[in-house]
Amino acid sequence: MPDANNDIVLDIKAIHKSFDDLEVLKGISMQVNRGEVVAVIGPSGGGKSTLLRCATTLEKVDLGKIVIGGDVLCDTVDGRCVYCDKKLEKEIRSKFGLVFQNFNLFPHFSVRRNITEALIHVHKKSKDEADKICKELLTKMELVEKADAYPCNLSGGQQQRVSIARALATNPEIIFFDEPTSALDPELTKGVLKVIKDLAREKMTMVIVTHEMSFARDVADRIVFMDGGVIVEEGPAYELVTNPKQERTKAFLAGY
Amino acid sequence: MGNLQSTLIQLWQGFQFTFGIFFFTLIFSIPLGLLVSRGRMSKIKIVSLIFQLYISILRGTPLMLQLLLVYFGPYYIFGVNLGSIQIGPFNYRFIATIIAFSLNYAAYFAEIFRGGIQSMSKGQYEAATVLGFTKMQTYFKIILPQVVKRVLPSVSNEIITLVKDTSLAQVLSVTEMFTKASAAASAQVSVVPFIVAGAFYYAMNLIIETILNRVEKSMSYYS
Repeated sequence: MPDANNDIVLDIKAIHKSFDDLEVLKGISMQVNRGEVVAVIGPSGGGKSTLLRCATTLEKVDLGKIVIGGDVLCDTVDGRCVYCDKKLEKEIRSKFGLVFQNFNLFPHFSVRRNITEALIHVHKKSKDEADKICKELLTKMELVEKADAYPCNLSGGQQQRVSIARALATNPEIIFFDEPTSALDPELTKGVLKVIKDLAREKMTMVIVTHEMSFARDVADRIVFMDGGVIVEEGPAYELVTNPKQERTKAFLAGY
Repeated sequence: MGNLQSTLIQLWQGFQFTFGIFFFTLIFSIPLGLLVSRGRMSKIKIVSLIFQLYISILRGTPLMLQLLLVYFGPYYIFGVNLGSIQIGPFNYRFIATIIAFSLNYAAYFAEIFRGGIQSMSKGQYEAATVLGFTKMQTYFKIILPQVVKRVLPSVSNEIITLVKDTSLAQVLSVTEMFTKASAAASAQVSVVPFIVAGAFYYAMNLIIETILNRVEKSMSYYS
């Protein structure tokens, strides 16, 4: 639905999230424009993954507002966070894809079925249509010969590329990556990063939580540095990495 | 020789009841076990507690006692006489046997299923959620098929035990194979009927084992 904010794919406003007494997100706001690649960096426990999980409906925020692709997932009314109904939530879920750190492929499905199952049973595409989409994506991932293989027979890098294909299959407006290469050795990391780079070139909107600093610098348009549940600093990728303003950012980047 | 032949005929008649107990118990106890495992895992404390108690009692008391209770309970406790009930070829003795066996085995199956379901990684549910699968689709397409593979060895154990447990129906004078064997043994003053009955049980379990191994193998294409 075209509106004034059509160019903003993800709009997060002042979200708070606590687990028991521990406040993990302390009023995070961020916007991601169409075609933009945003890298989220920072030390472990800084709230990066929780932010991603909140944006992808896997966790519910306590306060704040999240808008994805123009649809309001949740908003705060009279100090209480209210989520949209199940039907809209399902629609919102079709607008984004999520790539997990440990892939989370379905081990009992072939590569093809991992990619087509949601297309057929959630998006009601015909099997032929789904197969066609699957083939295109696997070609892109250089895995077309693995369509009938099972995840357990693939390397970690191949599994992650399949999971990227699975996330892309429903043609989402934005893809979230949660440390997509943390479970991979350097050799396998390369292949996955290349795929993400290609997507960036095609102007896919992406939010990437990563520890790969040089990758973030080269591929992201913008970097967000998070620590202690807040955004400490954000800015154009190259500038933030080469010339950070905040002491906390400098200290973190000095470790790389 | 005539003895052996008549023994075989008698045991074969008994075997049909044995098989009936086995078959109907599986048919009822597996779905019931799934339900009980869901109840046991319920987030509502009281529901979870009730099913925990159910499992605890059914596993903690003898199956033979449960058989007697299901059979005699309605009359001794409530004064209701169900003895004349007949469903098709099955009298109340047989029905009571199936009820007691199903309730008992459901408790064991429930704990096996719970173990299998809880061993699934959270990531499988999360991936399914994000892809837009409904809770039912997630359960039946993603979770259950993987759980079946994981619990099959333990379920096989129970199935094989069940074959042998059917002999407990003797306590309700169900004319299953063991009852027949006992009768034949004392009539003939011979252990041959017991040995033949043993061969029947073993043959049945051998077939079951072969089938279960095949099923397990058919699911070994992924790890």
